[in-house]
Amino acid sequence: MSGRRRLSIVAGALTLALTGCGLGAGPKPEGAALQVTENFGALPLAALAAPRVAGQETAMSLLERNERVTTHYGGGFVESINGRSGGIVHGHPVDWFYYVDGILASQGAADTVVHNGERIWWDLHDWSVTDGVPAVVGSFPEPFLHGVAGQRPPVAVRCVGATGACGTVLARLRAIGAQPTTLAREVPPPHDAVVVLVGTLAALRGQAAIDAVDQGPRTSGVYVTAPAAGTALELLDEDGAPVRRVTGDVGLVAATSGPGALPVWLVSGTDAAGVQAAASMLDERDLTDRYALVVAAGAHIAVPTATR
Amino acid sequence: MIAYTRRATPLHAARAGAGAAYACALALAVLLIDNPVLLGAIALGTVGAAVGAGVARPLLRLVPTILIVSIPIVVVQVLVSRQGLTVFARLGNLGPFGQGDLTVEALVYGVVIALKVAVLMLATALASMTVDPDELLRVYRRLAFRPALTASLATRMVPVLLDDARRLAEAQRTRPPAPGVARGSRMQRMRDAGRLVHASVAGALDRSLDVAAILELRGFEGARSAPRRSRPRSRHDLSFMTAALLLSGLAIADRIANLAPFATYPLVHLPARAWTVALAAALPALMLAPFLDRRGVAA
Repeated sequence: MSGRRRLSIVAGALTLALTGCGLGAGPKPEGAALQVTENFGALPLAALAAPRVAGQETAMSLLERNERVTTHYGGGFVESINGRSGGIVHGHPVDWFYYVDGILASQGAADTVVHNGERIWWDLHDWSVTDGVPAVVGSFPEPFLHGVAGQRPPVAVRCVGATGACGTVLARLRAIGAQPTTLAREVPPPHDAVVVLVGTLAALRGQAAIDAVDQGPRTSGVYVTAPAAGTALELLDEDGAPVRRVTGDVGLVAATSGPGALPVWLVSGTDAAGVQAAASMLDERDLTDRYALVVAAGAHIAVPTATR
Repeated sequence: MIAYTRRATPLHAARAGAGAAYACALALAVLLIDNPVLLGAIALGTVGAAVGAGVARPLLRLVPTILIVSIPIVVVQVLVSRQGLTVFARLGNLGPFGQGDLTVEALVYGVVIALKVAVLMLATALASMTVDPDELLRVYRRLAFRPALTASLATRMVPVLLDDARRLAEAQRTRPPAPGVARGSRMQRMRDAGRLVHASVAGALDRSLDVAAILELRGFEGARSAPRRSRPRSRHDLSFMTAALLLSGLAIADRIANLAPFATYPLVHLPARAWTVALAAALPALMLAPFLDRRGVAA
């Protein structure tokens, strides 16, 4: 065999390997987790910290390997999981959505490769208000550790006032292994980082993420609004209708879309005590299975507020 | 070429309606049943029926055609399907086509579809070689006179046009090649083929005009359906009709009650069940039973 031919064979094999090609099932994702819930996380159906894997997995194959699934459109769209299917329920459209590390997937589950440490969350919910809740907080400590496609993202924290809460947030993020940097007020949020905004709702006005929350769940995917100049929070149900107004020391932990592929997290509240309460909720125990979380008078309230 | 020739076999001795019902039942069973064991049993039964009907040799000539049709079905299914959990090769991210994971389940699904197509081709070929087309068209004429007459004429025209083409090809071979073109070269063969197709199509159109004129002269406009000719049912009619009924019944029962379960996705599921074994034995036995009685089968 000539040297040139040998070289081209080696180059071809390397190209195939680098583009994810090869024979067999491929490398297994280590430490991936799978959770299945209904109604915006209100009803947990399955939580597998170590789901079965058999080589390289996609979000779809991981689900099919571990749960009873029926699909549509040539296996690209989930119709039902463990017998619970989408469709029209009480006149509202209901379907399965999935999140990778707390970020709404941008492509079909059969095309999303699962990487090491990723948390795949499937949720069956009403999408009459919006079919795109861009990010959720219920996969904490993700996306701070694995971000998108298994790459640990930079984490930028912007604190506006709320010094105590800011310290708590930075400490919590460092505790999970993230390496947050603080972001000056005048510096625009970077596109390639998970941004955490810390401050009262009033102080954070003018930030794109807070403005999106003000415009309602259709824009932000967060089922709360902040009337009365941010001194109260209006909690919305699955239909986007206000069901409860909370005032006083109210905290909010929520996530929405950022300037790039990574989300913006809000650790906010109606006042400094509320922001501090929100910062204290930055742990896995409080946030798991939540789309967004409000704390009012010591009570944790998941939003959207379930009415059905 | 697949053509009907009367032979001394039970299937040829049965009336055309019974033979057609038998072939239709075969096709129905193939369409309704997904279990590859049962499909294999039907394929065996079909080959057995071809042996019983004395048409095994021409039927086996179809194998290359079946392979030409079946292999692409399997290949396309494996490449296109995004289902299945047992990945045997990864093509990486194919852009708009998504993640190119090739799975064993997609391969099995492709093989099952290809098997269905293959058995359907065998069943229709068996019907073509064993069911008298004239008799079948006579039956059809009572239901829809004009389409049946058109179909009769069309089937009659096929051998005539083939003879025409053969004669034209022979005449063509006697002529010298065009100047500057070597005899037997690819260019000459392509030119000859083009001219032959042109002449054959022109001849077919001429003949169709002649036939239309003759039909007009014979009063096709006022023609009516032929009267029913009653003929007592023979033992072969009854046995093939019974086999067709039972075959269809078993296929429908399997479909409704899932007697022989089989699933390809997400993992291949082919449990060993008594019903599967029983059906795998019953289906070919039913298909071949009418061939056991060979009384009164003279050609």
